[in-house]
Amino acid sequence: MKKSIVYIICYALPVPVILISLFIGSTGQADVGTALALAYKSVFAPALSAAEAESWMMIQNIIYNVRLPRVLMTFLVGAALSVSGSVLQGIFRNPLVDSYVLGISSGAAFGAALAMTFVLIPVSLAAFAGGILAVGMSYLVARSGSGIVSIVLSGMVISGMFAAGLAIVQYLSNPYKLQAIVQWTMGNLHAASWQELQRVYGPVIAGLVVVYIYRWRLNILSLGDDAAKATGVNPGLDKWILIGCATLLTAITVAAVGMISFYGLFLPHMVRMMLGADNRKAIPASIFLGGTFLLVIDNFSRSLFAFEIPVGIFTMLLGGPFFIYLMRKNKLNWN
Amino acid sequence: MEKAIDITDLSFSYGRQSILREVNVSFAAHRFSVLLGTNGSGKSTLFKAMTGLLSGYEGIVKIKGTPVRSLTHKQRASQIGYLPQFYQTVFPFTVEDILLTGRAAFSGFAPAKRDRALVTQVLAELGLERLRQKLFPELSGGEQQMVMIGRLLMQDPEIIILDEPTNHLDVYYQHFLMNKLKAFVEEGRTVIAIMHNPTLAYQFADDFFFMLDKMVVPAVSTAEQELEMLKAVYHTDFLHISHEGLKIVLPVGEGMLK
Repeated sequence: MKKSIVYIICYALPVPVILISLFIGSTGQADVGTALALAYKSVFAPALSAAEAESWMMIQNIIYNVRLPRVLMTFLVGAALSVSGSVLQGIFRNPLVDSYVLGISSGAAFGAALAMTFVLIPVSLAAFAGGILAVGMSYLVARSGSGIVSIVLSGMVISGMFAAGLAIVQYLSNPYKLQAIVQWTMGNLHAASWQELQRVYGPVIAGLVVVYIYRWRLNILSLGDDAAKATGVNPGLDKWILIGCATLLTAITVAAVGMISFYGLFLPHMVRMMLGADNRKAIPASIFLGGTFLLVIDNFSRSLFAFEIPVGIFTMLLGGPFFIYLMRKNKLNWN
Repeated sequence: MEKAIDITDLSFSYGRQSILREVNVSFAAHRFSVLLGTNGSGKSTLFKAMTGLLSGYEGIVKIKGTPVRSLTHKQRASQIGYLPQFYQTVFPFTVEDILLTGRAAFSGFAPAKRDRALVTQVLAELGLERLRQKLFPELSGGEQQMVMIGRLLMQDPEIIILDEPTNHLDVYYQHFLMNKLKAFVEEGRTVIAIMHNPTLAYQFADDFFFMLDKMVVPAVSTAEQELEMLKAVYHTDFLHISHEGLKIVLPVGEGMLK
């Protein structure tokens, strides 16, 4: 693909996609035509009729208080998940992992559900603790084996254990809370609000900035520990800083919108196919394309059918076949 | 003799299994030294101790008089370039990306402009300019190995340590690489390599060391004793052939030698 087209896709596309997303909704209210007509009238023909004034108010309300926070939230979540996937794939030198495969999402979901049910500590903090616990366990379990498969398998096992923990929490919680937890585990963006966004944007941007700074170091780490040490780098510290960021990004998004699985797996592949493996280019592209593409998926999830499909189910449906495709592609080094 | 690397009383074990036992050896500066030995004899472990990648050993490893443990990562990187036996990347990095990582210890969070100039210089030195924008995983084994050697040159180290550099290379690249290593020594660097092919080693290197019984033994001077040493190391008979001033060492199968 031509370089200029790639850069347009990554860095110019977000603007129109964000604008279009503001006018797409499951209710069919506030579509582009009506909104623009009323906006035009309110500016150039100050005397709106009472009915028009009312629907103009409502459209403004929907766009500003419902859709704008949701669009921004979706963008941040997409950027966070795709960057955390890029980081984890680089550090584990494994194109088959993301925060879901490694069990970070399940760990974070377990922590968050625990905090939601029993209200002990803030949900994000509990999610982060669960995520760190899960990735630490996956790492330790995988160390006893070797190669690309053992990390995926150990991630699966750890993920399964935390999923069981989550089921126990669901079993123990009362019906009202249960429904909230079930909806949230499927990955739902419809609850996004300005308050929710306020809790999310700080840590997500902080995580993204640290990864952006470390993006070249990620190139070095992805050649392996010995190769990193041979060039005079201590990989231990860099690794844990980056894994910490990936976990933070995942945990914050899980706490806010639930589990959106496999998104962090396939987005880094899309970026690598377009821009190559060099993380100096791939990380910024992951941030923007990650945000944009999740918006596109979310637009489909809320407009394709009369009811809204949770976005996590949508990404799972896209990501599953993609995972199988990667597995079958012989280029993978299984040892 | 100026010593590039000096090892005294080095012992190491994995759990109960002793790998190296009181190794005493020194490798001369500005020479091409080769360490020969069978699989699993502890060669790679010794090299990891020499490059500072191993911890938990007894004894002292000195790089040009300074204990390797007291060097910072950065100091070590400018003294020693190390080519590990195994490396792999599943990602489609370009050759340039791979070479730039060689500057990690010096350039912090992003490669500098002069690092890019250095890539040009290193590729020219190795005659690999055409590979610059190629994807590393798609190169042949020989080309990959040469790129990894280029990555090591990016550090501009005085001492180059290689763990089985000619492994998996075809005959052309084996000789190409050995010639380059010899040229590095002529430029004033020190080259120390583990090798599995005595025939090749004897054609190019200056000094020889053998891994025997968890210890390192330097080569003996006369030809017959050398053949005995090779037999003791490999449990295989060896033969000396002279051809127009060229001395060739060849392994021969059991019972072939009458």
